[in-house]
Amino acid sequence: MVKLEEINSERLHDKYYRVKHKSGLKVYIYPKEGYNSSYAILGAKVGSIDTTFKIPGKAENIVVPDGIAHYLEHKLFESEEGDAFAEYAKTGASANAYTSFDMTGYLFSCTEDFDKSLKILIDFVQSPYFTEKTVKKEQGIIGQEIKMYEDDPSWQVMFNLLKAMYHNHPVKKDIAGTVESIAKINADNLYEVYNNFYNLNNMTLCIAGKVNPVEILNILDEKLKPSYNMVPETIFAKEPYEIVKQRVEQRFPISMPLFQLGFKENASKGRMTIEESTQTDIILSVLASKSSKLYNDLINKGLINDSFGYECFEGPGYLASIFSGESRDPDKVAEIIKERVTELHAKGIVEEDFERAKKSIYGKSVSLLNSAENIANVMLTLDFADKELFEAVECIANTSLIDVNERLKSQLDVSNCSLSVVAPEDGSLNI
Amino acid sequence: MNLVRKSICDGVNFSNIKDNRFKTGRVSITVFVPLDKDKVAQNAILPFLLSKTCEKYPDLKNLNDRLENLYGVSVGAEVSKLGEVQVLSISATFLEDEYSLQKENIAQGAVDLLCQMFFYPVLEGMAFLGENVEQEKRQLIEMIESEYNDKRVFAKNKCEQWMCKDEKFGINRLGTVEQVKSLTGQEIFDAWLNMLSSAKIEITLLGKADSEKVYERFRDEFSKVKRTNVVACATKIIKRAGKISEYADVMNVSQSKLVMGFRTEVSADDELVNAMRVAVAIFGATPYSKLFLNVREKYSLCYYCSAKYDKNKGIMMVQSGVENENIDRAKEEILNQLEEVKRGNFTEEDMQAIKRSMTNSFRTVGDYLSSMENFYLSQIFDKNKVTTDELIEKIKKVTKSEVITAANMITLDTVYVLKGKARP
Repeated sequence: MVKLEEINSERLHDKYYRVKHKSGLKVYIYPKEGYNSSYAILGAKVGSIDTTFKIPGKAENIVVPDGIAHYLEHKLFESEEGDAFAEYAKTGASANAYTSFDMTGYLFSCTEDFDKSLKILIDFVQSPYFTEKTVKKEQGIIGQEIKMYEDDPSWQVMFNLLKAMYHNHPVKKDIAGTVESIAKINADNLYEVYNNFYNLNNMTLCIAGKVNPVEILNILDEKLKPSYNMVPETIFAKEPYEIVKQRVEQRFPISMPLFQLGFKENASKGRMTIEESTQTDIILSVLASKSSKLYNDLINKGLINDSFGYECFEGPGYLASIFSGESRDPDKVAEIIKERVTELHAKGIVEEDFERAKKSIYGKSVSLLNSAENIANVMLTLDFADKELFEAVECIANTSLIDVNERLKSQLDVSNCSLSVVAPEDGSLNI
Repeated sequence: MNLVRKSICDGVNFSNIKDNRFKTGRVSITVFVPLDKDKVAQNAILPFLLSKTCEKYPDLKNLNDRLENLYGVSVGAEVSKLGEVQVLSISATFLEDEYSLQKENIAQGAVDLLCQMFFYPVLEGMAFLGENVEQEKRQLIEMIESEYNDKRVFAKNKCEQWMCKDEKFGINRLGTVEQVKSLTGQEIFDAWLNMLSSAKIEITLLGKADSEKVYERFRDEFSKVKRTNVVACATKIIKRAGKISEYADVMNVSQSKLVMGFRTEVSADDELVNAMRVAVAIFGATPYSKLFLNVREKYSLCYYCSAKYDKNKGIMMVQSGVENENIDRAKEEILNQLEEVKRGNFTEEDMQAIKRSMTNSFRTVGDYLSSMENFYLSQIFDKNKVTTDELIEKIKKVTKSEVITAANMITLDTVYVLKGKARP
């Protein structure tokens, strides 16, 4: 039996377990006392950006069509015996999956027969079955998924921004690919991606809620097939520091214009540390939270509404601070944000604002630990970024103003930002 | 889920769910008023206006400083529809005291803020402060307009509005842009006074906070309010569809949206309500329902195609996104699958699977504060209120013949299509 490592948080009165299974799979188990439901997510570290990769020991790069990780996610639900959903129907679990830029997750939530559902999950993710016929069938479904996103102005405003910021990085490409790129997907290239990336050494399982860790380990021992520790390396073309374009605009049949303003930042040093990520969260909160001077200025001038938001957008080879929302005058919003950033750079963050932001971010992070779903999802995302949950919360409590002000110097470069606008069509009729 | 309900005064109740499992607590005030086309906008603006400022914290910046210093209390303002009832709510979700960095009293601070917002708005004489009113009018108009941005939401609303054009249900819960534009501070003040004096109001507290203290606080606030007769709320149910109506709009979109509205004859207080729930789920609410397995998986016509039952209005809506040239095929296949349910062409095992899935989702309700609150409030007008466990028992007892009977009560009323034309 593999060893369960217990990680306790006195501050949160909670604990979770960490296991490195002999098959290579990393496992986190977070019990929630008194919960009715359990949630499990099995993640593979492969997403839409992994389209050019290299296998250790081999010379040449392998290039696969855009959107293949997402296509694979759809197809993995089918095995030779049938469909995983039909299996879940026998346990009552609610199952789903998603693909992002840098990972794919297969998940379920249930209130009974957890062991059966976990076995279904582990089985189908380990049993690829692709034929030309089953692959072909999915094109109509994913084609409609792509078209649904094509009509979604909030999705388009984001990808237009990414294209305006990134010259070469594949993060600028739509996660599902295009109708043209998915036409190039076949059983062979699906197996190629599967066989390289769905290696248990490149995967993590996170479980939270009503759980019994020992029972879980027994299931893992029974079900996991050992795998060689050979993880492919994704190859990214060199990405310049500078943005591509300062402003992009697209017309849509909408009535409220949307915008995203992105400050591109240097991501060549690898993934952010927990400290850096906490410091950035505090900077963005001081700058743009509802108590900030910026937010109140923009609201009082009638330039934004409740949909305004901001985030640190970060992953392998990309890093940006993004502000988004609806506005009648996106250019004015961008101008005011840049003015305020310049002012913040000149004056630095003051103690009072720092303390307020810290408390607020701390409170929101702890609140996330209410939901088994959030816990497991966050643990997975953190693990793929080489971080851990309780460390992240602890880091907020211990962060210092000096470090935050130091970090501010390397962030939010007003000369390196792009504005993406989605505006109503001329003369478009509001029905 | 252990709920204790107490009266505060006529038509105002306080409910407490004591629960020690969560990192946060939640307190909310929910107001129920009849959906009325002449009053909908002045009511709709209230939660947004009330949750932004108050006498004690007279501008947005003051109030948000306070919220963030209380570890980011999250204030929610919402307007929704429960049948033909307009539901206005403001809520505060807050970190439980024991998790604060210096053992501060967050819960009572959050309750105080919510009371300040609800009972002590910023006024000028007998009106809400002009600049605050103008600010929220702008934002409410933008919210109404942004529903047009999301074509899925837009198409569903359109279908509901056409289907129920002669019923109160067809009224937009936020009012129209024109109505919001013409609102004055006095009108909103009157709506606020009416709400305080005559609306049905539910206050809920979930989590670890001292419920006696919170109850006393609200009782004290309401003792200063003159309550009159509570306004009654009711929803009219049209049992069967007449002639099928079809509507379409054309727009520059890649994917067409198909929405079909059905009457079901069955609503919350009817015997067959749980059979209807099961029937709709077999038809189209899960990945192993007929719509998903056939319209999506078998014929590859769409990415999403699902059915949703509204027990409060007794209607069912089917939504899908399809290619232009496949609209008729999809419509035909959706109706085909409904016929299959009506004819009883599903196995006992299919039905058990659906029941397990429903059991799973009702049991999960108890793991989320807001789901518990929603589950409870969504039954506020039902004659027979049930707990999640009782509901699960009722669902389990539904028989195949009841499902068939329920399915045969479903009739198609309105079809709405948002047709795409190629973008230039």
